[in-house]
Amino acid sequence: MKGKTKKIIDILITYCLLIVVAFVFLFPCLWLILASFSSTGNLYSIPGFFPESYSFQSFITLFTDTAMYNYPKWLLNTLIIAICSCVFSTILVILTAYVISRFEFKARRPLMKGALVLGMFPSFMSMTIIYILMTQFQLINNLFGLIAIYSCTAPMGYLVQKGFFDTIPTSIYEAARIDGANNVRVFRTITLPLAKPMIVYTALTSFTWPWSDFVLPKILLKNRDNWTVAVGLMSLGETEFARFAAGAVFIAVPIVVLYFLLVKNMVSGLTSGAVKG
Amino acid sequence: MRKSHTIYAALALLALASCGPTTGNSSTNPGGTTPGEEITEANSDMPVFDRFEGELERNITLQILENDTAKSLGYLDELLNAFNEEYAEYGIKAVDANIDQYSNLAEDGPYGYGPDVLYQANDVIMKYVQGRHVMPLPTWKIEAYEHLPESAINAYKGIESGVRYSFGVPVNAQAPMLFYRKDMVPEGADANNNGIPDMVESWNALYKYSKEINAADPSKRGYMKALYDVYFSSGYLFSYGAYVFGDDGTNPDDIGFNKGEAWKGARIIRQLAETMGPTCVDDSINTTCYGQLARGEIFATMTTPDVTNNFTTEMVTEYVADGMSASEAQTAAKENLVIADLPKLPKSGDLSEENPELIDMKAMGGINGYAISSYTDYPVACLAFVNFATSFEMNKLRETMLGVAPCRADVVADSDSAISENIYSRLEDGLITLMPSLTETGQIWTPGETLNKDLATDPTRPASQQKYKEQADYQAGLDEMVRQIHEAITTLA
Amino acid sequence: MESERGGRKIVNSIGDYFRNIPAKTKSFFQKQWTKVKSFGAGIADFFAQADWKVLLSLLFCGAGNIAYGQYAKGIMFLLLEILFIVFMALLGGEYLVGLFTLGTKESDPWSGVVGDNSVVLMLMGILTVFIIICFLLLYLSSLRSALSARLTKLKGQKPRTFIEDVASLTGRKFPYVALFVPLLGVMVFSVIPIVMMILVAFTNFGGEIDVPTDLVDYVGFDNFATIFGATNIGTTFFKIFGWNIAWAFLSTFINYFLGLGLALLLSKKCVKGSAFWRAFPILAYAIPGFITLIAFKFMFSTMGPINYYLSDAHMHDENIVDFLGLDSTWWARGIGLFVNTWLTVPTTMLLATGILSNIQKDLYEAADIDGASKRKQFFDITLPYVIFATTPTLISQFIGNFNNFGTFYFLRGGIVSEGYFRASDTDLLINWLYNLSISNDYYGIGAAISLLIFIITSAISLLVYVRSGSYKKEDTYR
Repeated sequence: MKGKTKKIIDILITYCLLIVVAFVFLFPCLWLILASFSSTGNLYSIPGFFPESYSFQSFITLFTDTAMYNYPKWLLNTLIIAICSCVFSTILVILTAYVISRFEFKARRPLMKGALVLGMFPSFMSMTIIYILMTQFQLINNLFGLIAIYSCTAPMGYLVQKGFFDTIPTSIYEAARIDGANNVRVFRTITLPLAKPMIVYTALTSFTWPWSDFVLPKILLKNRDNWTVAVGLMSLGETEFARFAAGAVFIAVPIVVLYFLLVKNMVSGLTSGAVKG
Repeated sequence: MRKSHTIYAALALLALASCGPTTGNSSTNPGGTTPGEEITEANSDMPVFDRFEGELERNITLQILENDTAKSLGYLDELLNAFNEEYAEYGIKAVDANIDQYSNLAEDGPYGYGPDVLYQANDVIMKYVQGRHVMPLPTWKIEAYEHLPESAINAYKGIESGVRYSFGVPVNAQAPMLFYRKDMVPEGADANNNGIPDMVESWNALYKYSKEINAADPSKRGYMKALYDVYFSSGYLFSYGAYVFGDDGTNPDDIGFNKGEAWKGARIIRQLAETMGPTCVDDSINTTCYGQLARGEIFATMTTPDVTNNFTTEMVTEYVADGMSASEAQTAAKENLVIADLPKLPKSGDLSEENPELIDMKAMGGINGYAISSYTDYPVACLAFVNFATSFEMNKLRETMLGVAPCRADVVADSDSAISENIYSRLEDGLITLMPSLTETGQIWTPGETLNKDLATDPTRPASQQKYKEQADYQAGLDEMVRQIHEAITTLA
Repeated sequence: MESERGGRKIVNSIGDYFRNIPAKTKSFFQKQWTKVKSFGAGIADFFAQADWKVLLSLLFCGAGNIAYGQYAKGIMFLLLEILFIVFMALLGGEYLVGLFTLGTKESDPWSGVVGDNSVVLMLMGILTVFIIICFLLLYLSSLRSALSARLTKLKGQKPRTFIEDVASLTGRKFPYVALFVPLLGVMVFSVIPIVMMILVAFTNFGGEIDVPTDLVDYVGFDNFATIFGATNIGTTFFKIFGWNIAWAFLSTFINYFLGLGLALLLSKKCVKGSAFWRAFPILAYAIPGFITLIAFKFMFSTMGPINYYLSDAHMHDENIVDFLGLDSTWWARGIGLFVNTWLTVPTTMLLATGILSNIQKDLYEAADIDGASKRKQFFDITLPYVIFATTPTLISQFIGNFNNFGTFYFLRGGIVSEGYFRASDTDLLINWLYNLSISNDYYGIGAAISLLIFIITSAISLLVYVRSGSYKKEDTYR
């Protein structure tokens, strides 16, 4: 009986905490969402948190009034950049992390320390250099240039994934080796299925970064037709705040959708059965 | 990792050893003119102007950078169409460069991504001079110069290699005006019958009226403006003898924000803050003021005429919500919103004084204009475009479509807009202090904002912690601001 | 008590670290010397064992391989050498000279004279050095491969065929093959810009020197002298540095444990619909950071919704709090901390969720059998496991927070606090760096300051990382 009360209290506390967390995270977003549906058109004329009346006007303008602010085109650009970078980054990061975690080779420790130290350089100092580098490669105003940068610098963040691979027991690999599988096959048949949650995490983060980055596209994309949503939103005039809010809310949709598509794979991973032995 | 560090270090040292700093930058005077000499047609045989000689280039495309307002209100299309029609026989086509309106030519131009002709503010264009990113203009070949006031032309003059060139053609002037609601002016408020309500004739009256409004209804305010803004608040200092840089804005060693009786201006900023309450401290009022004025929560504010549209749109929305039809609301909004000259300031510098002796208020302003990129392949065609875009007809069209104040005297004379005339006459009378065309101007904003925020915050502090009480306090604040600017200019240079 | 002991342990270990520096330096140089000696011995061996066929490789890469019948491999070596020579003759030589001279001919955009662009020359020069290093490695490997072909033949065996070589790529050489593309990418887009920035720290680039009209010069340590020479800079540096360290520790600590706590909370068995609950932080995560920052700034502004309610719809303006104003140091710092937490907790939560899902369930089963309480299980199994797997993240989060530019740039830009040189009392070093250099285009000075920040942060994190469990005992959970 006592144990049961304790359990009920535990559940109650858990749910209270969850509600608080949900509230803290939802509220600012909700405010932005409500503002984007405000019919007055101006985010800043809302008294307090709640607009006086609602309409879809901001979203309609966002997608139909494209002469100055071509949101659909920007969205498409952003989508292309984010999807390509996501695919390439995920492959490169997982591969790097796997190799560094699994193999002993001479350059291994120096590489690890090197990556750590490199990651520490204040990055925006090198933005000017990146710009000049890209002018020499003729990759200004080119979506591929951005994809290349995002994908190529992604392996620097391999540490998280490496930490994960470090926790997979070696016994599994040895069994496969005895069966005569080569490295590529071991990676494909054993590592990848085991690393599903990590891959999902990597994919999600490497999608989000280009999706919401502002600095790099601002520097490398000059032509308005090549802009990404982030750059475009920042160029919106002083009076376009409702449109800004609408654009900001809409840009969150794909990530939330992506999350719900991938969530299944995040929590299923290693089952206890696979480890035993 | 240690190893690669040593490699970098070795490389760096190797590089350092092999070439010490080479001294002596070539700063010869082209054409042998004396330093600072003015350019006229008579002494214009300098090699810099050679690129503007010769035949008009044919079958080319010019990239034009215009501002977003000109684009969204359709003026740019009109301009481009008119130009392209005129020059169709040469095969010259001008198109929208389609890049950000604040694009930095110094960054884009050298690598081939900049526009051929650009329209930006004078302080922005003059930043390009030192790196020679914009061409010096043969002013005698541009028709507009016959009609431009000296003050506007000077905004684009800069000395490079000892010669004083013009780098941009002034098109329109920006300066603050007072915006207020007619329906909040009480009956019979014009005691001297000059057609201007008393409370907007002087800052003292406006100050008094603001207090009355707030006392009657605490949720309402009279005059409201974000005071931190250096662009709008510096006018109070300038009116009492302050200036940005000495020698007409050319000498960054002489910073003038604390000169003359500038402390009086500082006191006015603090006095205004008393009537405005704590919301004047940060920048939020800048974006909320349109809606607040529309809802009658504030009576007046100060801003530049190019944002007039924001006020009317908000007012129309309010009126429509109150049940008016769209066209009725439009008329009512136009009728109710008054754009007026800035009120006069008290000579004593005390807003609480009754019946003060009044002086004109000075304000900070800017001049937008066209410049030609040095990286263009078609300088002659660019010159033709600039000539076309600064013609009487185009400037007139610009004024009517965008509601901005033109610089050309003949356009102003032909105009029936009171705003254009007001700004033009203030420009001629020296009541508009232009942002100096020096790179050092970039250093005034942060220290200026800090002082303004300090002044605006002061009334909200507990009495014991208030910093500004008498003349010496204000002077100390201004001196500190000047010291910070000076430090910022000299420490790293 | 526990934490005090831990603290002393850390202090002692740092002390040890510094005490060991002389010994370590000595052993480092000894190691390098051994390497040089063995390299010399390698060269001697090479000449002793090589015949004319192998020696031919000294001139023409791959010639030795071709002579010993490894045609495909030999031709590939040869082609790469030709490619390298063509590159050096056409472009590389010029770039290499440019790296040292930084250009000799000034441009004049006014008259259309295109001269040398110092910055481009410098960058391409570094790229050339990088290519030369790659070629040298290739050259050495061609010699080694030619020699090994000869030695194999001497033993009477057949040198390895091309197909065997290719096969070894997925076997013994797999790490290098797999890492080739990531390494190349990181080299071009990360290492080269950083090397360039380091060089820029020793030039007068920026300020008066406007590329391409002016030429940039190397100025030695002048930029560092300027930084340390200005009296007011030193005091500002230490004030900001103190706050920066505190900020980095606090925010990392808060983010980490809140994120972890949230992940644990959601993984509790009694939570139904955890995907639903997790969606709220995800929503926060999905809105781009700079937009959130702008929204928060407005929320806390004097006309914002929070002050709207505080002042009872502006009926009592005296209640308004200027959260981010001039006098509100601690309010602003607190809000910065909150906003940053709001922004980063979702990421930590996602990561921790991924890692928790992989924890070996049999550990718990064993603990259950032993009768360990849930609390004990958490401290003995879960926490060590998660910390082990996330130490690297912790470090990168620390660095991320140390160099967190956005938060205070968006929330509280444009203020100079009393007693600071061009910085506010919430600014971090990175914001200060921005105020000093980027916003004024003083690239040389900026690069010098970032080099200093870089040295500090990399020293701290290397020290922590090399000593952490996940670096020292990588195989704890294998």
